[in-house]
Amino acid sequence: MSAVATSGVAHDVTGGAEQPADSRRPTGAGAGRRPGAARRRRPGLEAVRWTFLVVLGLYFVVPQLAMARFAFQNVPVVLLDQHTLLSRWSAASLLRALHEPALWQATRTSALLAVLTLVLDLALLLPLAVVAEVRAPRLRTVLATVTLLPWVVPPIALVVGVAATFRTVAPGFLTSPLALVPFYAVWAMPFTYRAIDSGLRAVNARTLVEAARSLGAGLPTVLFRVLMPNLSASLVAAGGLTAALVLGEFAFASLLLKTTLPTYLVDYQRDAPQAGMALALAVMVLTALALGAVVHLLRRRGLGVSTTGF
Amino acid sequence: MTELPLTGVTPVTVPDVSTSAGVGAVASPARRSTAVRRGWRADGATVALVPFLVFVGVFLLWPVGAVVVHSVTPGGSLGIGALVRAVSGPYRSAFTNSLTLAGASAVIGGVLGLALAFALRGLQRPAWLRPTIDAWSSVASQLGGVPLAFAFVALVGTQGVLTKGLAALGVDLAGAGFSLSTLPGMTFVYLYFEIPLMFLVVAPAVSGLRTTWREAAELMGAGPVRYWWAVGGPVLAPSVLGGMLLLFINAFSAYATAYVLNSSGQLVPLAIRFVLQGNVITGEQDLGYALVTWTVALMAAGLVLMHLLRRRAARWSRA
Repeated sequence: MSAVATSGVAHDVTGGAEQPADSRRPTGAGAGRRPGAARRRRPGLEAVRWTFLVVLGLYFVVPQLAMARFAFQNVPVVLLDQHTLLSRWSAASLLRALHEPALWQATRTSALLAVLTLVLDLALLLPLAVVAEVRAPRLRTVLATVTLLPWVVPPIALVVGVAATFRTVAPGFLTSPLALVPFYAVWAMPFTYRAIDSGLRAVNARTLVEAARSLGAGLPTVLFRVLMPNLSASLVAAGGLTAALVLGEFAFASLLLKTTLPTYLVDYQRDAPQAGMALALAVMVLTALALGAVVHLLRRRGLGVSTTGF
Repeated sequence: MTELPLTGVTPVTVPDVSTSAGVGAVASPARRSTAVRRGWRADGATVALVPFLVFVGVFLLWPVGAVVVHSVTPGGSLGIGALVRAVSGPYRSAFTNSLTLAGASAVIGGVLGLALAFALRGLQRPAWLRPTIDAWSSVASQLGGVPLAFAFVALVGTQGVLTKGLAALGVDLAGAGFSLSTLPGMTFVYLYFEIPLMFLVVAPAVSGLRTTWREAAELMGAGPVRYWWAVGGPVLAPSVLGGMLLLFINAFSAYATAYVLNSSGQLVPLAIRFVLQGNVITGEQDLGYALVTWTVALMAAGLVLMHLLRRRAARWSRA
C-alpha cells in the first residue's frame, strides 16, 4: 500500500518520519480531490478511463471465472453455449479432492511450516526490532539492509546453494520437511520486519517501554503484556503474509522433493485435472481472503504495511 | 576491584547515553556494573544482533557464498570458464528469454500499472472503487504461483474457455501464434501480478503530484507537454523506474508459474532446475552454480539501483 514508497523514506531519515505509513495518505487524497472538481470534464477522457478500468477488471476477474467453470461445471468446452451455460454445475470435484488423505497430509505440512516460520521470524526479529526502536536506532539501518538480502536470492537460486552445502555438511538435515522452515523464514523476513517496524512506530513503542519499565515491569512483561498486544495488527499482518508465502512457495519445496500444498497441487492436477483445478481455486481464494483480511485490518488501524516487502 | 573507580564514572556517563537509552537509568546495581564499561552498553544492542546475523549467515549467506565460490573455481581451480559457459550456447538463450520475459512484463506491467494509478487519480465517484482496487492490488500482487497458472490454462489454454469461444467466432488463438508456453503467453500471465504491484508502487507518487505544481506551471505559461516534460515527468520518473525494476526482479525470479506453463522452457530458473536435477555429469554442477551466480548478481544490481531511485523518489513524496 502506501508504505511501499514511504518505508523507504522512513529508513533513510532515521527517526525523523514518525508516522511513516499514514502521513501522506490524507494529503494524497486531498490533492486528488481538488483537481477532479476543478478540472473541466472531458467526456472523451472519461470514456477512455472507464474503458480502461473495465478491460483491466475483466483481465483480473475472467481467469478466475474460467477456472471456476472448469472446476465445477461438467460440460466440455466445445458444448458450451447459451443453453448449457448454467447446466451441470456441481461441487463434486472439490469434494473428491478434499477426500484425498494426501491432501490433508500436505496441508498439515504447509500449515505447520507457516506457523513455525512465523514463530521463528518473530523470535529473531521482534526483540531486535524493539531494541532498535527503543534503544539503538542505528541498528535499524542494519536490520533494514540485512532483511532485504533475501530479495536478492530467489528460492530457485538458494536451493542450489543449500544442496551444495547442507548435503555434504549435514546430510540428515534436509530429510524432514521441517528443514524448509529456516529458509522460508529467510524469505519472510523482509515483510515481517517491516510489519513489526511500522507497528512499533505507530504505537510509539519507546514511550510505552519507558513507561512500563519505570513502573517496574521486567523484560518479559514489557514484551508480552505491553508490546505484543499493541502490535497485534502488525503481528497478524506478518502472519498473513507469511502464510501466503508458505502456501505459494513451490520451487524450493519441489526441488528438495518435499510434499507441501503447492507441490501437491501440481502433482494432483496431473492425475485429476478437474479436481486439481477446483483445489487450486480453493487455495487461491483462501490465500486471497487471508491477505484481504490483513489489508483490511491494517487499513482500519491506519497502518500501511507493504505486501511487497519494501 | 577494578569496578570501583569505574563506578564513580557512572553518573557522568549514564545521562549521556540515556538520551538514547533512558531505560537503563533505572537499572539494578548488577546491571549497572555491566553498563559502566563505556561502549559495552552500545555493544549490548550489537550482541542482540548476533543470533540474527548468525541465522542469516548460515541459511542465506553461506549457501549463496558457497555457490559463488564454486562458480569461480570450476573443477577446483580459479577460473571464469563456468561463468562464461553459463551465458553461452543453450544457456545464452535462457538468459535472453528470461531477460525478454522479465523486461517485457516489467515495461508493459509498469505502463499499465501507472495508467491504472492515473485512471484512479481524481476519481471519487463510486466511493468503493479506490479502496477495493487498493486492497485487491495488495492481494493480487502476491497471487503468483501454481494456482494462477492453472487459472490461465483454464482461460486460454488449448481447452480454455476463451480459446474455444474465440474459435467459435472464427478466431484461432493457437493459429495466431498465441500459446501460454511462449514468451508472449507467459508475459500475459505475469501481468496478473505485475500490474497490481506497479500500481502499489506508483500510486502514492501519482497521487502526490500537487495540483499547485500544475497551476504554477500553467501560470508561467507552460502547456501540458511542457508541464509533464519539466515537472511531472521528472518527479514521477524515479518511482516509475524503481517500480519497473521491482517488476523486473519479480518476473525474473518467478518460478512456479513458469514451471506449470512450460516446464521445459528456456528460462534461467528452469535451466537452474534442469542442471540441478541432472547434476550427475561432472562439471555440470559448476554450470548450475554459475547460473545462480549470474542470477544473484543481476538481482543485487537491480536492488541497488532500485534503492537509489527510491531515495530520489522520496525527495518529492516527503512533506
